[in-house]
Amino acid sequence: MPENEPAQKKIGVYLCRCGGNIGDVIDLQAVADSLKRENVIVNIQDYLCSSAGQEKIKNDIEKGKTDRALIGSCSPKLHLETFRSMAKNAGLNPSLLEITNIREQASWVHDKESKESVNSKARGLIKGAVARISSIEALVPLEKKLVDRTLVVGGGIAGITTALELADGHEVMLIEKQPYLGGHMIGLSKTFPTLDCSQCILTPKMVAVHNHPGITMLTQTEVADVKGSAGDYSITLKHSPRYVDIKKCISCGACARKCPSGAIFLPFAQAVPQAYMIDMSKCKNCGACVKVCPRDAIDLDAKETTSSVSVGAVAIATGFEPINPSFIEEYNYPAPNLLTAVQFEEMLSAKSKTGMRLQKADGTFPDRVAFVLCAGSRDFTGRGKKYCSKVCCIYSQKQAQLVKKMKEDAEAWIFYIDMRSAGRRFEEFYHHTQEKGVNYVRGKVAEIIPQKDSTLMVQYEDTNLGMKGREIFDMVVLCPALVPSAGTKELADKLGVPLGDDGFVEEKHVKLDPVNTLNQSVFAAGCVLGPKDIHDSVTEGISAAHKVSQFLGKGMILIPPEKPMILECNGCGDCVKACPYNALALEGGKAVLSPLACTGCGVCVPACPIKGIEIRNFTRNQLKTQLKAILGEGPGVIVFIDPYAYAAADIAGVNRRQYSSLIRFVSVPSIHILDADVINAAFEHGASGVMLIEGTTDEKLTSRSDELYKKLKKDTRKHKKPLRYSHIETAQYEKLTDLLNVFAAQAGAKAEKRSRKEQADEKESAAE
Amino acid sequence: MRKETILPESKDTAFRDLIIKSPGGEKIPTCMQCGICAGSCPVSHEMDYTPRQLVRMIQLGLRKEVLNSNTVWICTTCFSCSVRCPRGIHPTELMETLKPIAMSEGIRNKNAKFDNVFSDVIKKNGRASEFLLISKYSLSEPGMIKQAPFGFSLFSKGKLPLSVDKMEDTGELDAIFKLGEKTEEKAETKTNPGKKETGEKENAEPETEK
Ligand SMILES: Cc1cc2nc3c(=O)[nH]c(=O)nc-3n(C[C@H](O)[C@H](O)[C@H](O)COP(=O)(O)OP(=O)(O)OC[C@H]3O[C@@H](n4cnc5c(N)ncnc54)[C@H](O)[C@@H]3O)c2cc1C
Ligand code: SF4
Ligand code: SF4
Ligand code: SF4
Ligand code: SF4
Repeated sequence: MPENEPAQKKIGVYLCRCGGNIGDVIDLQAVADSLKRENVIVNIQDYLCSSAGQEKIKNDIEKGKTDRALIGSCSPKLHLETFRSMAKNAGLNPSLLEITNIREQASWVHDKESKESVNSKARGLIKGAVARISSIEALVPLEKKLVDRTLVVGGGIAGITTALELADGHEVMLIEKQPYLGGHMIGLSKTFPTLDCSQCILTPKMVAVHNHPGITMLTQTEVADVKGSAGDYSITLKHSPRYVDIKKCISCGACARKCPSGAIFLPFAQAVPQAYMIDMSKCKNCGACVKVCPRDAIDLDAKETTSSVSVGAVAIATGFEPINPSFIEEYNYPAPNLLTAVQFEEMLSAKSKTGMRLQKADGTFPDRVAFVLCAGSRDFTGRGKKYCSKVCCIYSQKQAQLVKKMKEDAEAWIFYIDMRSAGRRFEEFYHHTQEKGVNYVRGKVAEIIPQKDSTLMVQYEDTNLGMKGREIFDMVVLCPALVPSAGTKELADKLGVPLGDDGFVEEKHVKLDPVNTLNQSVFAAGCVLGPKDIHDSVTEGISAAHKVSQFLGKGMILIPPEKPMILECNGCGDCVKACPYNALALEGGKAVLSPLACTGCGVCVPACPIKGIEIRNFTRNQLKTQLKAILGEGPGVIVFIDPYAYAAADIAGVNRRQYSSLIRFVSVPSIHILDADVINAAFEHGASGVMLIEGTTDEKLTSRSDELYKKLKKDTRKHKKPLRYSHIETAQYEKLTDLLNVFAAQAGAKAEKRSRKEQADEKESAAE
Repeated sequence: MRKETILPESKDTAFRDLIIKSPGGEKIPTCMQCGICAGSCPVSHEMDYTPRQLVRMIQLGLRKEVLNSNTVWICTTCFSCSVRCPRGIHPTELMETLKPIAMSEGIRNKNAKFDNVFSDVIKKNGRASEFLLISKYSLSEPGMIKQAPFGFSLFSKGKLPLSVDKMEDTGELDAIFKLGEKTEEKAETKTNPGKKETGEKENAEPETEK
């Protein structure tokens, strides 16, 4: 037991000014002074993450001055790994180095509050962390063998690239929701900025995927369920029926010639895989095709099937889809000859249904075409999307060029707000389009009114002139905001990967870890990380393949050692029943843990009726010691927060969303490790309120939260102080800060009421 | 229209800040000049500055130009701009913020005059009367004489009845007007603590004949 270890621990506290990011708001010297009686050494640096800063800690460890290091700095999500590997090199067990976040969760979010309130928070957090670090034990991470197989989800250019780049060294399974590969790129005409034909550059890649011995490619397939944990997932796949066996079909077309209702078809000539398929909504079930197929490839009774695959890593490449512009009432979409840019592209692509001809609804060529940019993008009212969809400025110019190329005297107008053409070759592309005689109008289109003759009236302000204008066009092309594919959220939830508030997958680090997610065994590439062009999607595909390969190359994955220890057991089996991951079993009348199956969720801790289970380094006593120290520096609201919600608090910090400085976060692996003992201790030590904030999307846990909360509420009622539970996903940082503010105010008001009442009571009893 | 040069002294940051702090004004700094407001506005062609340009002038603090423009008086309060603005700016509300400020500064261009005549008629009778409106406005706006033949033809077709339909009890109405006057006074002390430069503003009518 850690409590029994000898007491001469040499704790080094290292505080970082972070330039002025922390030092300008928090009086670090005062924090250091407040530690005088704690028997610790304190050191303040400008930049702890610099080599000089790290060197200082390393020296202290090597010289034996420090055998436990506490760092007060930016979020552990940024540099914990760096500092811990430094500690390891210096000979210290990495788990004995911890970080307390005084930047994202203090100096950046309270700089409008009184200095003293921020300082007392900082002192409390650091003292709590000092108390905690002196109470924890050195742990060694557990090792788990990795499965050397990767699941790539999404067969667009990003997924194709990831799969091909990986497949020479690792086994790959590529799954695609559609009946064919290629994603949006197979529906493009020419590709900017060089105008080479999309299918000409894509088809060889699709064929390579199909033929690669290391790649198993499955179309019409989606992820149904994910079991297991990082590095060792068992994934259930769902296959919707094609009714034609891909392996048998030789695309002779005999079936299609016999089908009376046009229900059996080849998606398009270059489709990979090359096989017919049936649209069951059209099929009359007459069996004509079955009879005529020379290869016996058709099965009209095929049903949806499932299969299972075990993988060590997952790459998400599920791309984007255009937003449906019908919510923009003033544009009156859909209407004849009013299309989206994706529909425009498809007409001129491998998927064309018009023989690669640009044509209006009546089959003739449109002589006047308008392109309407930012349809649903750059909108901060909640009606559309805030972000710029990035590719529309350039592809609309490509499309305008194509119109001019097909008919020289045709007119192409581009209505834009800002012509965004940054980057290599793009300004030249803009210039070239101008030379072709395309008409640019600076102004967001105000209205599109369909006319009786199927033309469209466009009303706008030419903002360069300050004049209103109206024009009639044969065809109007809306360039819609690009949003994550339908189902991105469900997939991300299954894989435990947070999304940003824009719905795209959140990168591990926006700049420095752009294709890693917050789950170490899940990677992402292409438009699922935000709108981008082919060049960037390919670059990310290559990067993701490299990252996956690096990850799998280690053969082992380290898993956190903060697991339950069974200190006392009467064999009742309550924990075994409670464990959501089947990680506990009764052996010889005692509970035994399988550490690799255990996720450290802590459900077993409060489940044990004799309090015989504790999570290592998050024991009841360790938490209580920490709480006591935090609250010793002044009253506050204790907020227990899990790693996913912690990430939301960090994003709030990065966005400088201010909230009450009474908030004191206490980081826990999961809120389910908590029982009334801990919450009561928080109240006893002076917390004016306690919040439990959970961010995990794992239903096995969230489905228990309500019950946990009700039980805790009941068991801590005697304190008459507010307790609250909230579910906050990583993307919901704005909701988080709003909640924190409301709760801090509530808890404050309640505390005031209580103290007024106490004073009155005192007076009363004094009078008696 | 004569074009002026924007100089450091043409910018009144206090005026800009006042407007930005007024209800619904806080988003004005985020205007990206997309022009969907002006493109949607049914009357922007009658304005000497389109709603978009007005927002831009506020970002710069061009007090004189903003307060003397006819834009705020031409606006029909149709809200098209406000529902479509992708930045959540409320040009309609902005017009309402600017009107009392312009009035308190004594700015009386012909569009403002029409507003005055209109509210006078309502104040007295509780109801609008085309005849009173047109005759009173013509008195204060000599240019209206050109419209006389049109007025006679309307009159001869019975479209300008002489009788004035009065409201019976104007108590509630009076209260509303009182409230309005109070707000106006407030706006005056806010924008113009102490100084009065009404005389100069009288001649500052912009050339808007189109
Ligand atoms: C109108 C238009 C024109 C463009 N023109 C150009 C151009 O000229 N040049 C250029 O460089 N870029 C262009 N782009 C951008 C280009 O299309 C993208 O960069 C590229 O397609 C992104 O590839 P991706 O693989 O990330 O996504 P996608 O192409 O969207 O592919 C994603 C794939 O994943 C599949 N999928 C989705 N969800 C699931 C799921 N749950 N399970 C399994 N599979 C799933 C989808 O079916 C799809 O096949 C254009 C974009 C648009 C909208
Ligand atoms: S790329 Fe251009 S058209 Fe597309 S959202 Fe951005 S600015 Fe608007
Ligand atoms: S911590 Fe969670 S997963 Fe591990 S044994 Fe306990 S209940 Fe099961
Ligand atoms: S619509 Fe809004 S953002 Fe666009 S110009 Fe008008 S006020 Fe500015
Ligand atoms: S509210 Fe006024 S400014 Fe806005 S569109 Fe209508 S008339 Fe024009």
